[in-house]
Amino acid sequence: MRVVRVAPRSFRNLADEPIGFGPGLTVLHGPNGAGKTNVLEAVFFALTGRSCRTRREREAIAFGSSLARVEARLEPDPGDDGEPLTMMASISGSEARRRLVDGAPAEPGDDLRRPAISVFMPDRLALVKGAPAPRRAHLDRLVAALHPARAGLAREYGRALAQRNGLLARARRGAEAAALSAWDRALAERAEPLVAARAAAAAALAAPFARAASELGLDGSAALAYRPRTGELDAGGIAAELAARRESDLARGFTGFGPHRDEVEVSVGGRSLRRYGSQGQQRLGLLALLFAEREALRAARRRLPLLLLDDVMSELDPERRARLVAMVDDGGQTLITATELDHVPAAAAGLAIADGVATAEERR
Amino acid sequence: MHPAPVDRLIAELGKLPGIGRRTAQRLAFHILRSSDEDAFALATAIREVKERIGLCETCFNLAEGPTCAICSDPRRSRELICVVEEPQDVIPIERTGEYRGLYHVLGGALSPIDGIDPDDLRIDELVRRVEAGEIEEVVIATNPTTTGEATAHHIGERLRDRVTLTRLASGLPVGADLEHADEVTLGRALTGRRSV
Ligand SMILES: Nc1ncnc2c1ncn2[C@@H]1O[C@H](COP(=O)(O)OP(=O)(O)O)[C@@H](O)[C@H]1O
Ligand SMILES: [Mg+2]
Ligand SMILES: [Zn+2]
Repeated sequence: MRVVRVAPRSFRNLADEPIGFGPGLTVLHGPNGAGKTNVLEAVFFALTGRSCRTRREREAIAFGSSLARVEARLEPDPGDDGEPLTMMASISGSEARRRLVDGAPAEPGDDLRRPAISVFMPDRLALVKGAPAPRRAHLDRLVAALHPARAGLAREYGRALAQRNGLLARARRGAEAAALSAWDRALAERAEPLVAARAAAAAALAAPFARAASELGLDGSAALAYRPRTGELDAGGIAAELAARRESDLARGFTGFGPHRDEVEVSVGGRSLRRYGSQGQQRLGLLALLFAEREALRAARRRLPLLLLDDVMSELDPERRARLVAMVDDGGQTLITATELDHVPAAAAGLAIADGVATAEERR
Repeated sequence: MHPAPVDRLIAELGKLPGIGRRTAQRLAFHILRSSDEDAFALATAIREVKERIGLCETCFNLAEGPTCAICSDPRRSRELICVVEEPQDVIPIERTGEYRGLYHVLGGALSPIDGIDPDDLRIDELVRRVEAGEIEEVVIATNPTTTGEATAHHIGERLRDRVTLTRLASGLPVGADLEHADEVTLGRALTGRRSV
């Protein structure tokens, strides 16, 4: 599936006109403030109902308007057997977000029909340098993309965890922690397959990550390692550990042990990129992670994610720019922004962006 | 806006699950347009279930009178009890034709975040039925959801060493409701139950 067109309405500074995308690589270029990043955000918003820039989607409503909406048209790639698809998202100042898929309210399964989306934006650096939670969530999304049947594992675990935490919180307020050991077991049974799925996804990522990092010039051997909080324990062992920690859990009112405390560690030369990496290294680390995921998805014969790369070129030297372009030239769809068209050394489709208006250009 | 009885009907219909104000209005006007015969049949049916249907004193399944049709059927095996969450979970199991024992309806599943503890379910009643002696095997057929699994574990802890305990075998998709399982899958789950 690829995005052939988005039609924004009152979205940031974008004109209310459809913007078309070709297959493969499209370069969005134009001066600072023209609206390049806004186009990437509009694509992401139409497909997910969320912004890839901010948690406050309402900021995307054009100044002076009350409602923003973006509609995306998706069509199957040649040889792909999916049906064309229209996805629409809207947000207004007064109402909740709305998402429609082919005109009907979106359902959870609909997101399996669109491509996964890999986003590189400067503010996504939190993924590399921030707390572990977004890295876990990111790994879980990769699990789902690699193995759709495993998509529910994190959600199921989260449900069981919320229940056990609910029980602990009530017990802390003086109620009896009735049936706590039953919840230990229910939680442990959902932890084991989640840990296994995360481990498998991280294992599929490790080699391509090291490779992409060195291609992009992240000096020193880069590595990605999954560190499950539960170590090698199976469900029985996890339940036993939960039982052993019961007193401290009851004292705190929440569960202190389990895969919700897992870490995904990214290191360069044996040192944590999160703690010791420079901003430039962290940017390359994030980029390498996105490419490693793409590689893992391809190896699993899954559809390649749609790549949204914002402002990646400015920090790379010409040789690495050429490598990056070679890496995306693999049949997937990529939208890349740059202030100068020359920064993208490839025969790519161009979209000139000026004042929120996109103009298609001939292929060079 | 409407005559008071119409507003009352709309308000009552609107209390039904999944019925919003607009749908309630549509249903009310449908009832207004329908024949006296149809409308009264609906009213009578509602009155009848409330007057005649209660819960079985033994298994808490729906019953007309103090004992349900299954508990009072002499051909059913008294050594086997199948534990389900809700009365509607009995129906798909009956449809498989694989099960000849009795039931025990818990009236829900453990859910701390909704304040549902063991005391809120008919678990003590189940333990008492088992203690009464005749029962040899308890099949736990709570839903394979988080809450259903925790409930199964809890019942397992309460009944361990008193009776043979089995859980519906795999085949039910994780996170699925019994009510929505198809007969073939459920039949397989019943014949291949595993001990807990
Ligand atoms: N809600 C909004 N309504 C209208 N214009 C907006 C809104 N939010 C941001 N903008 C404008 O969008 C422009 C920035 O667009 P952006 O896509 O970030 O530029 P760039 O091409 O540098 O990536 C700025 O001119 C800003 O004023
Ligand atoms: Mg920008
Ligand atoms: Zn009965």
